[in-house]
Amino acid sequence: MRITEEAKNQNREKIIKAAAMLFAEKGFEETTTRDIAKAAGLATGTMFNYFPSKETMAMSMINEALLKGGADFVTRRTGEEEFAEELFLFITTGLQRLRAMHPFIGPVLEKSLSPFARKATCKEGESAREQHLAVVSAIMTRHGHTMVPEFLATNIYWSLYLGILAFWSNDDSPNQEATLAMIDYSIILFARMISAADPVAGGLSK
Amino acid sequence: MMMENREKSLRIEEMIAALPDAGNTGKVSPEILADISKRISLKKMPTSALTRFWSLGNVQTKIALGYLAYRVRSSFVSAGKKQKLLNETHLAAAIRLLATMGYMRGAVMKLGQILANLPDVVPDEFAEILGALHFEAPPMHYSMIREVFVAEMGREPEEIFASFDKKAFAAASLGQVHKARLKTGEEVAVKIQYPHIARTIQADMRNLRFLLAPMRLSADWGSMTEYLVEIERVLTIEADYEQEAAFCRQAGKLFERAEGFVIPEIYDQYSSRRILTMEFIPGCHLQEFLAGNPSEELRNNYSLLISRFWARLFYSAKQIVADPHPGNFIFMADGRLGFIDFGCTRATSVEEQEMLAQLEIAFLEKDPAKIDQVIANACLYHDPSRMSLVQLQVIREVITWQFGPIVSEKLYDWGDSDFFLRGMELNLEMVQKGCSQSMPLCIWTNRMTYGFRAICYRLKCQNYFGRICREERERAQNG
Ligand SMILES: Nc1ncnc2c1ncn2[C@@H]1O[C@H](COP(=O)(O)OP(=O)(O)OP(=O)(O)O)[C@@H](O)[C@H]1O
Repeated sequence: MRITEEAKNQNREKIIKAAAMLFAEKGFEETTTRDIAKAAGLATGTMFNYFPSKETMAMSMINEALLKGGADFVTRRTGEEEFAEELFLFITTGLQRLRAMHPFIGPVLEKSLSPFARKATCKEGESAREQHLAVVSAIMTRHGHTMVPEFLATNIYWSLYLGILAFWSNDDSPNQEATLAMIDYSIILFARMISAADPVAGGLSK
Repeated sequence: MMMENREKSLRIEEMIAALPDAGNTGKVSPEILADISKRISLKKMPTSALTRFWSLGNVQTKIALGYLAYRVRSSFVSAGKKQKLLNETHLAAAIRLLATMGYMRGAVMKLGQILANLPDVVPDEFAEILGALHFEAPPMHYSMIREVFVAEMGREPEEIFASFDKKAFAAASLGQVHKARLKTGEEVAVKIQYPHIARTIQADMRNLRFLLAPMRLSADWGSMTEYLVEIERVLTIEADYEQEAAFCRQAGKLFERAEGFVIPEIYDQYSSRRILTMEFIPGCHLQEFLAGNPSEELRNNYSLLISRFWARLFYSAKQIVADPHPGNFIFMADGRLGFIDFGCTRATSVEEQEMLAQLEIAFLEKDPAKIDQVIANACLYHDPSRMSLVQLQVIREVITWQFGPIVSEKLYDWGDSDFFLRGMELNLEMVQKGCSQSMPLCIWTNRMTYGFRAICYRLKCQNYFGRICREERERAQNG
């Protein structure tokens, strides 16, 4: 019997929900796929039809959150932001959506987004990266930052961004305020790097 | 505590190695460094006092850099070549570290000027320098402000206020201030703190202290720990706007608007630890006020308000305004005085109040033996005979300069430059002669006195200061 598209989506949803709950409760490393299947009320084998590993589950969640963050960013943007400010808004808006995953995001990102990981290991991670960088490229273009070849700029950016995520995942300051300062400094640094002609272009407004 | 800090701090070699090349940062000019090493003569440096002044944090930098510059110029007493070299290295490294701290930019620039001018600065410059040295938090764009609001209040500024200016109208030492309008119509000033700034400063200060520590040569390092605790405490208070709001409210009860004092209302529902929403007080700062050539009567009137403000907080609230820099006073068009910054008021303990009261009694009774006894207590020697005559003499003079006006009935001319400069000189002398050991409270009473006197000096005003103090003392006693 073929299962309907709707039922499929429901199952996906159930798995993600169960996984999110368990990751938050027990941590990513401590949670087994069997735990998740059990909590979702599915056979482990069935679950693997949807997600080949718990990394992909976690990365799907992150992906989804980042997509929502991207949409939030479009609505929050006023259009008056300068370059550094707009990039800041994009990153922090994404983090707001990731906040619920803060307790377990570290090891997931390490496995799925590590610059050393082979690409094929997690296609969700790869797609998150591509979508994120597409927005960053668009922001750079919008502000006329075309001095540095795009692949170079996005690579520099990506390593900074991973650094920010890593820092954030370990940040235990109130409201993760240390991360906000970190993002601010990182972006100013990045803006300086890619605007060879004018070292502070798009930087601080004051 | 020191040990703990040491462990957390970098090793000196690492720190020096990690410093950017001074010539390349463009922040500390090579001339300054060259100047410093040139000026470091064959003298030993009583660094515990120096280190203390360096590490005081906010205010401290104001007066502190003056002391440092003075030290660099004239207070190195003979030391071995090796020690001299060490001092040079550490001092240069410390200044470069200072230069990497964005929020000290202004202070570092001033340092250069002071180095160039001391001790030839005229009192006017000195008074201005005291007012100008400040921490400067990095500026925040509106997207950052929004993040801070979402994190602190769960809502965006535009959801909270009827209108909110995206650009700040004033800088604060740990953040910036925006104008906004409440939905109920009131105009407000919203002070917002740069995320994590206090901890950043604390960490930097720890490193700075550590960097300077090897220069210490004199014996009174011991009371250092206490000072450090004190400073950490005050910086922590300053960074907590909820505490500031509480002080502000407490002080507001003591002053009537009809008397000429305006302390801003605090709007709690729009405030948090990092955001302070208060009534906007229209007016101008000292510099602008003076630029308008105010009449003598107006200046004297303001000096009365400022003196009374100080005295009432001191006697009735037992609070010390530890940071009385001119930016905290607003000269309103109708002649009233606004005071806006309770971030750096310090409560005094019963023991400290007792000490201050004893000192006052000793002065009122003009009893030298009693005065010496209180000095010995305040300097933690507890017995005047355990202090050197030189030390005792200098401190006696300092205290007389500080306390004389409080217990005098005569008309004081605060614009007298000889009097003002004498106070500055005495303070330098105190550092120079190694009289740095004291109750932590003395840092703040010192700062308070110099801050207020610098303002009055610039106002070129006269008043019966002692009478005001007496009235306020009596007012406090009568509840
Ligand atoms: N209620 C207010 N009404 C009008 N102006 C205000 C008000 N509050 C703050 N300001 C302006 O903002 C500036 C900085 O505010 P405030 O002194 O409270 O900040 P701070 O963080 O304590 O900084 P600092 O240590 O430099 O005083 C003031 O000098 C003043 O110009």
